[in-house]
Formats: sequence, structure tokens, C-alpha cells
Amino acid sequence: MENREGIPCVELRNVVKRFPGVTAVDHVSLKVEQGRIFSLLGPSGCGKTTTLRLVAGFETLDEGDVLIDNKVVNDIPAHKRNCSTVFQTLALFPHMTVEENIGYGLERKGVAKDKIKKEVGEVLELMQLGGMEKRRPSQLSGGQRQRVALARSLVLRPKILLLDEPLASLDRKLRKEMQTEIKRIQREVRITFLYVTHDQKEALTISDTIAVMANGRLEQVGTPNEIYETPRTRFIADFMGAINIFLGKVIATGSSQEVQLETADGLKIIAIKNKGIPSEEITGISVHPELIDILPEGTDLEGDNKFRGKIIEMNYQGDFTETRICLNQVDRIITAHLSNEPGQNVRFSLDERVLLCWNRHSSKILIG
Amino acid sequence: MKASNMTNKILPTLSMLVYIFLWAPVIILVLFSFSSNRFGIKWESFTLQWYFDIIGNVAVRDALIRSLTIASITIVVATIAGTIAAYGLYKYKFRGRGALRTTILLPMVMPSVVTGGALLVFFSRAIHIPLGYLSITIAHITFCTPLAMFVVLGRMARIDWSLEEASADLGADRLTTWRKITIPVLLPAMIASAALIFPWSFDDFIITYFVAGVGTTTLPIYIFSQLRFGATPVINTIGTILVVLPIISVLLMRFLQKKK
Repeated sequence: MENREGIPCVELRNVVKRFPGVTAVDHVSLKVEQGRIFSLLGPSGCGKTTTLRLVAGFETLDEGDVLIDNKVVNDIPAHKRNCSTVFQTLALFPHMTVEENIGYGLERKGVAKDKIKKEVGEVLELMQLGGMEKRRPSQLSGGQRQRVALARSLVLRPKILLLDEPLASLDRKLRKEMQTEIKRIQREVRITFLYVTHDQKEALTISDTIAVMANGRLEQVGTPNEIYETPRTRFIADFMGAINIFLGKVIATGSSQEVQLETADGLKIIAIKNKGIPSEEITGISVHPELIDILPEGTDLEGDNKFRGKIIEMNYQGDFTETRICLNQVDRIITAHLSNEPGQNVRFSLDERVLLCWNRHSSKILIG
Repeated sequence: MKASNMTNKILPTLSMLVYIFLWAPVIILVLFSFSSNRFGIKWESFTLQWYFDIIGNVAVRDALIRSLTIASITIVVATIAGTIAAYGLYKYKFRGRGALRTTILLPMVMPSVVTGGALLVFFSRAIHIPLGYLSITIAHITFCTPLAMFVVLGRMARIDWSLEEASADLGADRLTTWRKITIPVLLPAMIASAALIFPWSFDDFIITYFVAGVGTTTLPIYIFSQLRFGATPVINTIGTILVVLPIISVLLMRFLQKKK
């Protein structure tokens, strides 16, 4: 199953898919590297599921090409493509047992009965489902059903495994466990995964590459680190959690790639930009709430970005409290996280006046 | 008297009266089927004679077999036709879809005399099918297929249709998906339709009478013709069997379900 170097497992070339009244996929081009986990990330309705379905063959495209293993597959029906899908609803056949479910695809291929039994046994081991062969889907837990769905697809050793928000219906704890599981399994079988999710934390956890989509278009493709640290557009920054957005223009530059940005309402913010980005292209800055420090109003310290304001909202979240502060200087609300760890000895309360501060490295450059 | 007191006393009483009103004729029928009175209209002494008579009664036996045969054919054809119709209407979008669905469901709500009369004219004038068991069977299929479609269509709305996509994804072509996934998943609905169609067909009198012509007898028609001669214990006996059998089968089904 080794692929030649450099040939992407799946490629989309300028793909367009329209539904009545909306362009669901708008000139999308991307390359999915062989043997990796590639995620399509975006809010509901951004076109990620439609893109997945175009690769699977459940939708026909209007323009462009879909290639699997360097062959155009536009006209090949779903049941003949060498890919396998894990559906959001899992779609386990309710009237069949676990082993009948998993063996279904092999049966369709005409594999001999004893070979089927062997393969099914192996994949059950891999998924830690030993002993569940004769059960029906209704007799399994949520996590077990997930693994059966995965097993059913993996046993066919497809060129690419397509996963459509498979963990959407699980509770938080189980989700985190399954994310680790999925990663482990992928590393073991080394099949390419194309993963659709709307959960940015999930994408960051499991992906090798993330493609962020919005309104049918690709916004940015990169490693989790790139997407998180250097979101290109305001939309991406906001979606990834850097919800403090300051739009403005660069008014000054420094020697070591530092820039000073001024917003329309007069705030001045210091940031560090990448060498390759010209200052003229910078449209704004975003800052993650967890990188902003909250200090008592009277604190006197040196810092890059300091602003004073009043706490207007506090939401307890366990290990931190999400705090919203209205600035004195301008009519703006900043969100910051107040740590609730035991070492923290300063407590704040609603309506209290505070000082906000963050380092220039915490400011992330936006260029779109 | 306080309001709640009234409802506590009057409501159960009222319900009891309604139940008695509904069930009294049936209970009397059942009781008198064991009476030795020749007309079966009053109590004389206990006897099972009429039940033994029924067994040897050729006319009853023939009528029963006719009704069962017609019902069986109707169940098979109507369920298949209804399922296919439901599938097509649910999964495919085309112009006039809503209108087609309404049209197919129409016979279910039309008065039986209208359906019967229309079919009679259709058979004798339009397509010249001789009135008899064939016309009766066709008529039954006509008004039972909508029922099957209705039941299956209702069930289809509650099924996860990515099952079919999953089957295709795993390499099954259309026909195999249909055979291995779609039909098994729809089977409970199809069986439910069959269970509903049976009494519709077996019991039918009005439409059957219209299209039966001369000399063809289903069980309901036989009972009606016997009534013309006056009350006879045969009616009580058949009636009792037709009431008791469904009750027993329902109880049996519930017992089997509980065991699961």
C-alpha cells in the first residue's frame, strides 16, 4: 500500500458543487498527503461535509476533478471507489451482528468465508472489541459502536478513510478518549484519513494537516501549529478561539520584526510578525484569552500591551474563569481567562477595575 | 357534590355503560352460539351442536377458503406494490409527487359504496373483466395497496437512510443494497401492513358485494345471505369464532413479545 513519494492520496482540483440557491463547494483545490490525518475544519454549512461526500462519490461535482491515487474518479460510482466512509450516524446495520457488519464489505468483494472470519477477528483485536462478535449494534455502548464503524471501514484496507464528524454524538470524556484512539489506530494501519469536524480542539488534537473552510471556500491550510499560531484571517482567528480581534493598520515597525498597529478607535498594539510578511498586508491582530493577564488596577509594571478596564462578566469554567472586561479607553470588550489554580492568590470580582496586559509575542498577525 | 367527586363517580360509570353498549351484542352472540335454540335467539340449554355442524357445513367451508385465499393474495400483492410505491415516493423527487401521493391514498378515505360502484362500472363497462373471484381480488388489492403504502411510508421517515449509503460505500450495488439492507430494515413495516390488510380484506363486505357478481361467495357474503333467511345459529357460531380467534392471536403475540 506504499504510495510513490509526492503523489497525494487524494487531490481536488478547482472543485465546484452547487445546490439550488447555494454554492456549497466553491473552487476548492487541495492535496491530501498519503498516510496522514487531514482535517476539514469549519462551522456548520461551510462545505466540509459536501467536500467529503464528493470524494466518497455520494455527490457528483459540477466543475473540477477529484483524484484518488492520481486517477480521476469523477465518474466512478461510490461503490466502486477505493475509499470507505465512517458516517456521522455510524449507519451500523441494525439487523446484523457486529461480525456481519464488519464482514459486509469483504463479502461484497467475494472474499472466502474463512478469510473473512480471520480478517474480522484481526480488526476486532485492533479495535479492542474482542468478544463482541455476536452482539447487535443496539446492544453496544456509544464508544463500542464507534469502533465497530471504524472496524467495518478499516477491514477493507481502503486507500483513504473518510470520517464525517464521527465523534459528534459522544460526551466530552468519551470524545477525548476516542480522539486518542483514532490517532493510535491511524498510526498503526497507516491509511490516509480525511476527517471532517467543526470542533477546533479536536482538529488540533488529531490532525497532521488542517484545512479551514468557510462558505464553501478554503480559508487556510497548514499544520495545527500554523493554524493556531498564525491564523491568516479574522475568521480563522476567531474560530480557533483567538476571539480578541483588533483590526487596524501598522503605523510603526521595529528592528526585530516588531510592529505597532493602530485601530480605528485609537488603540495601539505591539506584535511580532513573520519575516516573510510585508507590513502593508497586515490587517489586524488577534489575541487568545488565555494569554492575557489580569492584574489589580494599580499594578505598576513594564509591558508591551497594557489597558485598563472594568470587569463586566465572569463565567466559571472549572480550571479558569472566563472574564469579560470593558476597556476604559474605548468601547471595547476583551475576553481573558483568570486562572483558578491553587497558587493564584489574587481574587477579582464583578465591577472591579483591573489592568490587562499581554506580551507582544501573544499578538497574532492577521492578513485577511 | 365537589367537582372531583363527580368525575370520580360519573366518569367510570359512563365508561362502563359505553363498554356494555359496545360489547353487549357480541357477548350475546357468543352466549347464544352455545344455546340449543334452533334460531339462536334465546337461551334454552347448553350445547356444542352448532360447532360440530359447522365443521361439516360445506358452504361455510368453501366461503371460508375463498375469503382466506383472496386475503392471502391481496396481502402479498398489496404489500409489495405498496412498499415499492412508498419507496419511490419517499426517495425520488419529481413533479407531481405530492399529487400522486394524495391520489394513491384516496381510496382509503372514499366511502366503500363509491369505490364499489366505481369498480363495478369499471369491470363491466371499461375493461370487461367477468365479475367473480378475479374481480374481487383485484378490488381488494386496489383498496389495500394504499394502506400498505401509508404504513411503509410512515416508517420510512424514521429510518436512518445513510444505511443505504454505507452499503454502497462498502461495495454493494443498488440491487444488493436493496436486498440485504433496505428490505430487512423495512420488514417490520411490511409485516405491520400485512397484519392490517388481512382484516381489511377478509372482513370486506360492501365493495366485495358490488363486484362479486352471481354465484361467488366470500365468508361475509355467505353470512349476509344466511341472514336473509332469518336468524340461524350458524351466524352466532361463525361470529364467535371470528371474535375469539383475533383475541387469542393478539394475546399470543403479546406473550411472545414479553418472552423476548
